[in-house]
Amino acid sequence: MTLPLAHVCTPQALGDWRHLLAVIWDFLSLSLFSLGGGNTLLTEYHHLTVDQYCWLSSRQFADLYALAEAAPGPSSMIVGLLGMGAAVKEGPLWGLLSGVSAEVAILLPSTLLMVAASLGWNRFRDAPLRIAVERGLGPITLGILLAVGLKILRISDHDTPAYAVSALVCVLMLRTRLSPLWFMAVAALLGLLGLVNR
Amino acid sequence: MAAAPEQPRTPSHLELFLGMQQVALSAFGGGLSAWSERIVVEQRRWMSEEAFLTGLTVARLLPGPNQINMAVYIGSRFHGLGGALVALAGMLLLPFSLLMLLGLGYYYLHETPLVDRLLAGVITASAGMALSMGFKIGHSYRRDPVALGIAAVCFLAMDVFHVRLIPLVLVAGPLAMAWYWPRQTPRREPEP
Repeated sequence: MTLPLAHVCTPQALGDWRHLLAVIWDFLSLSLFSLGGGNTLLTEYHHLTVDQYCWLSSRQFADLYALAEAAPGPSSMIVGLLGMGAAVKEGPLWGLLSGVSAEVAILLPSTLLMVAASLGWNRFRDAPLRIAVERGLGPITLGILLAVGLKILRISDHDTPAYAVSALVCVLMLRTRLSPLWFMAVAALLGLLGLVNR
Repeated sequence: MAAAPEQPRTPSHLELFLGMQQVALSAFGGGLSAWSERIVVEQRRWMSEEAFLTGLTVARLLPGPNQINMAVYIGSRFHGLGGALVALAGMLLLPFSLLMLLGLGYYYLHETPLVDRLLAGVITASAGMALSMGFKIGHSYRRDPVALGIAAVCFLAMDVFHVRLIPLVLVAGPLAMAWYWPRQTPRREPEP
């Protein structure tokens, strides 16, 4: 937004229930704006957790994104990891509670909509609105995903070797069917050997 | 479709939960969608191939993570909202618990040098994966200059002008939908 660069970010105290409600509201309202499977929300998650509520650093965000991608299961579970960061300083139980709440908040509205759509789909399948949604939102999703990719690239990579590894992985993701876990394992080794740095 | 498919049977709440948990466990190495189809359609015969594919279409079209929407579709077909929640719980319980444990590990250990070095490497790979997401769907629009234009405007709005997602979708969404609103007979769009 319009925050000056030197803006000092102070974490919001979520013990204050008004802050807590504001955070939950932010995740609830983002839920219905996730196009193309949820990855379009990543820059918004970064904005909320790093710039606005300041409970994570950009570096932690990049780490958590990698963790969510490496772990089994839908990668949209990253919201649980991000939410955990808001309260984990108060102890593991608060961290878990906060992570679960964030995940529930991001899933609840889209789930309710999906239930309604599943039950009423046959009346909707040939409606002009459905076709317009399908064809119109596709290109928007494409533009947003490119911006999301570039954002994550910028917060993750800070020197030439890092950018080179990312570019190579990007090409391999598009050209081969190798499991991404292999790329992560090799990159982890490069990190351990000190060949790529933050 | 086969000539006379077996009558799909209605699973109980418990069966839904266990079935989706089996999907989640089978998919620990990846390929959630394929496992979901194998287990729900082929092994347990809860629904026809056609009903499953319809579900995939709806799941991709509506907001929300596709795999999670798919679990909601399967559950709600049989038991409405309750079924959806049970299927969702079955699909998420184990992977989410594991992820929360990993998360706790991360928050307590990420400043130790070994973990930090490891992650410094891993994030370069995950950044490459993030970058590939757009290119992966981009090729299906290469013959549609309007779509590429819309994508370019959205990209610039977000990346250069830092427009937030919700206002962007609220403005660009209706405009793009108006452009693509079917005139007269709905045309079949090429599958991406």
